[in-house]
Amino acid sequence: MSGTESVAFDTPQRERRADTFAMWVFIGSEAMLFGAIFLVFLVAHIDFGPAFAAASKRLSLPLGTLNTAVLITSSFTMALAHMLALHRRWRPTIWALVATAALGVCFLIVKGIEYGKEISEGLAPLLGLPFRYAGPDPVHAEFFFGLYFTMTSLHALHLIGGIVVIAGMIALWRPSGPANRLRRVVAVGLYWHFVDIIWVFMFPVLYLINR
Amino acid sequence: MTNAAMQGTYLGQGSGLRAWLLSTDHKRVAWLYLISLTAFFFLGGAMAVLMRIELATPAGDLVSDDVYNRLFSLHGIIMVWFFLVPSIPATMGNFLLPLMIGARDLAFPRLNLASWYVFIFGSLFALFAVVAGGVDTGWTFYTPLSTLYANGFVSTAAFGVFVVGFSTIMTGINFIVTVHTLRAPGLTWFRLPIFVWTLYATSLVMVLATPVLAASLILIVLERVFGIGIFNPDLGGDPLLFQHLFWFYSHPAVYIMILPGMGVVSEVLPCFSRRPLFGYKAVAMSSMAIAVFGFLVWGHHMFVSGQSAYAGVVFSFLSFCVAIPSAIKVFNWSLTLRKGEISFETPMLYALFFLGLFTFGGLAGLFLAALAVDVHVHDTYFVIAHFHYIMVGGMVTAYMAGLHFWWSKLTGRMYSETAGRIAATVTFVGFNLTFFPQYMLGFNGMPRRYHTYPPEFQFWNVLSSAGAVVLAIGYLMPLFYLGWSLFRGARAPDNPWNATGLEWQTSSPPPPHNFETMPVVTRPAYAYDMKGLEHERFSPHREEAAR
Amino acid sequence: MSELRKLTFGYLGLLALLALTVGSSFVALGGFNVALNLAIAAAKAILIAMLFMHLTGTLPRLAVAAAGLWLVILFGLTLIGR
Ligand code: HEM
Ligand SMILES: [Cu+2]
Repeated sequence: MSGTESVAFDTPQRERRADTFAMWVFIGSEAMLFGAIFLVFLVAHIDFGPAFAAASKRLSLPLGTLNTAVLITSSFTMALAHMLALHRRWRPTIWALVATAALGVCFLIVKGIEYGKEISEGLAPLLGLPFRYAGPDPVHAEFFFGLYFTMTSLHALHLIGGIVVIAGMIALWRPSGPANRLRRVVAVGLYWHFVDIIWVFMFPVLYLINR
Repeated sequence: MTNAAMQGTYLGQGSGLRAWLLSTDHKRVAWLYLISLTAFFFLGGAMAVLMRIELATPAGDLVSDDVYNRLFSLHGIIMVWFFLVPSIPATMGNFLLPLMIGARDLAFPRLNLASWYVFIFGSLFALFAVVAGGVDTGWTFYTPLSTLYANGFVSTAAFGVFVVGFSTIMTGINFIVTVHTLRAPGLTWFRLPIFVWTLYATSLVMVLATPVLAASLILIVLERVFGIGIFNPDLGGDPLLFQHLFWFYSHPAVYIMILPGMGVVSEVLPCFSRRPLFGYKAVAMSSMAIAVFGFLVWGHHMFVSGQSAYAGVVFSFLSFCVAIPSAIKVFNWSLTLRKGEISFETPMLYALFFLGLFTFGGLAGLFLAALAVDVHVHDTYFVIAHFHYIMVGGMVTAYMAGLHFWWSKLTGRMYSETAGRIAATVTFVGFNLTFFPQYMLGFNGMPRRYHTYPPEFQFWNVLSSAGAVVLAIGYLMPLFYLGWSLFRGARAPDNPWNATGLEWQTSSPPPPHNFETMPVVTRPAYAYDMKGLEHERFSPHREEAAR
Repeated sequence: MSELRKLTFGYLGLLALLALTVGSSFVALGGFNVALNLAIAAAKAILIAMLFMHLTGTLPRLAVAAAGLWLVILFGLTLIGR
């Protein structure tokens, strides 16, 4: 077939349109997944506002802010990759993709440092680790940290997925033709930005709202 | 199956294992699903038979209470997620959607094949849970039972269901994009067969509801494996919230499990009464209405579980409303039959049985949606009878109707019509014998999910168990005569039922890319009233394209 | 390349919004802190969707609108149930 990946399409243009639509439907579906988790948080927050406010002060606001900036920057480089791919400037496209993935790794490293800090302070109620918390209402503070780890790790898993896909895409760069390259950059880009948007909501919800 | 006649059809494209397991042809992927789903259907069915044998006597003599709990849990999990949710969409939907809209394949053939592998991967987890010791939470995985008390392989099973959910979402995305982007020239939305409309509506539900199920299952697994107590009341977690998330998915999911069946019946009834579908637009739109409004009623599963009385009233009202689009369809199907030249071939028999059984189960739903009545019959056999009438009497019957209707297209062979009619009738009798008594039991107060019961319930239970045997025979028969027809059945003509629809315009079985010349559509669906149907309908002349 | 200019402005805008949202959390506004933080998050999301994700065309918008509506259903009916 004429440069399409699926036999169903007769032109690459139609295929790209279908691809983009499919990605948006997928994003809608993912939004429901995160929506459900946010709902769980919201319900708990309604019930235990003050305990959650106190617990959220124990998170590291500087590191959280830094990470938000890192992720926004990665979205920017991803948008650059898209723009460059549209102009078929493949070499800079690759560099923009590498930068995006590298920033993703940065985010994960900072997140890892945060996790390490929280675990060493006894704020991680997982796997039977001891939970030591001096503030008011430790029971519901534990609940907050449970949610915090759930939400951020789910987000991190999505980010890891994105990094792996970008890496795979770069590995398969040579054999794939221009039409396929562009399609893949567009598709991965949409996903990456979506994961960024999730963080854009998670950051204030976890770090700021309860202050 | 491979002989000279199959050359040039999709069945002639290699018969080795590789040619089947790696083919991205939607028609072959449909077969992969068909075979695996058949296996799950009979596995789940075997568990049901064991339960019915146990319930033939009031005492718990065949299995212990613990084993019985595992039987009904796995029966529910397998039947819902490994059979009924993918049933019609992944088999006939997969096979027919591109054919019906005049496309060469689904939009994403590789995604389609991948969805089957994901499905198998997920279902292996569940099978592992069965072998390793089972699950005893029921298919609903209610917390805190599933998180704090259940001792089975809850995480494994939940993870399996979670993974299978991805395959559902993949199918959903593929179908939605396909319907939007790959319709043949001239095939406007209101010329689409109703089967396509229902697949579209189903996909919408799949894509928007399944992730919420995924979220609730992840939280259960996190709680059990990592000790993060999201639903743990000791931590302030809200077990009821799990029910909200679960039913936000699972009520719409019951429409995943009926809408495609409605689609099949909408194809079969006009064909065998030689009449256009009555009220086409109303039927199409009510499919969409069901998909949307089905999301507004989940609280009717929680009337007695502690949600606010205000919410109970709202959900009760909305539940009554959601029956309206279903009723519209029932009326339209019935009016399609009016003054038709009805003939009773096997698919039609199944479709008529669907009509009766679905209506009967749906009406019981209205009883349940009434708050005061539900307090009485909640968690009794009345609920069991309600949903089996719809899911088995409705969906499985429609599945059979579709399988017989399109069998010639799938295989290029005809099955024995006599055997088909006998099996359909046996199924109908066996079904009613099995499940009608359960209405009586439930109304008289027998709770569900117990392996023993007071002797006064034995009469209806014995009837039900006897019915289960008849029903099992009814479901086993097609396995043999359809299997036999694969090798010995008469060669099928391209359009044995003289039906409208693009899928009948190509050969039986179709060529690898479905059509020799890509079709152009100039007629509405179900043009059974047009003269000279056999000769001039939908002639696939690309040149005279309608533009 | 005016496209590049657009992306850069979007990027700077996002960073500014980040500074705003962090800054606002040090000012006690009562209940308005929550509303403000969420509004800023929504603004950021819209910026990303429009500039970086090129959210145009009927079909993608349809998908987003559907997800939005369904989230409203999920949140709304769960909260009345409590
Ligand atoms: C006419 C529209 C319908 C209404 C008003 C309705 C109403 C209800 C109600 C109120 C219940 C809860 C009963 C209880 O637990 O006390 C229920 C249970 C159930 N319904 Fe329906 N229903 C309808 C259609 C359907 C359809 C089409 C299906 C399946 C295809 C279905 C499958 C189920 C299932 C599986 C359950 C039981 C779930 C469980 O507790 O294990 N219903 N229905
Ligand atoms: Cu329901």
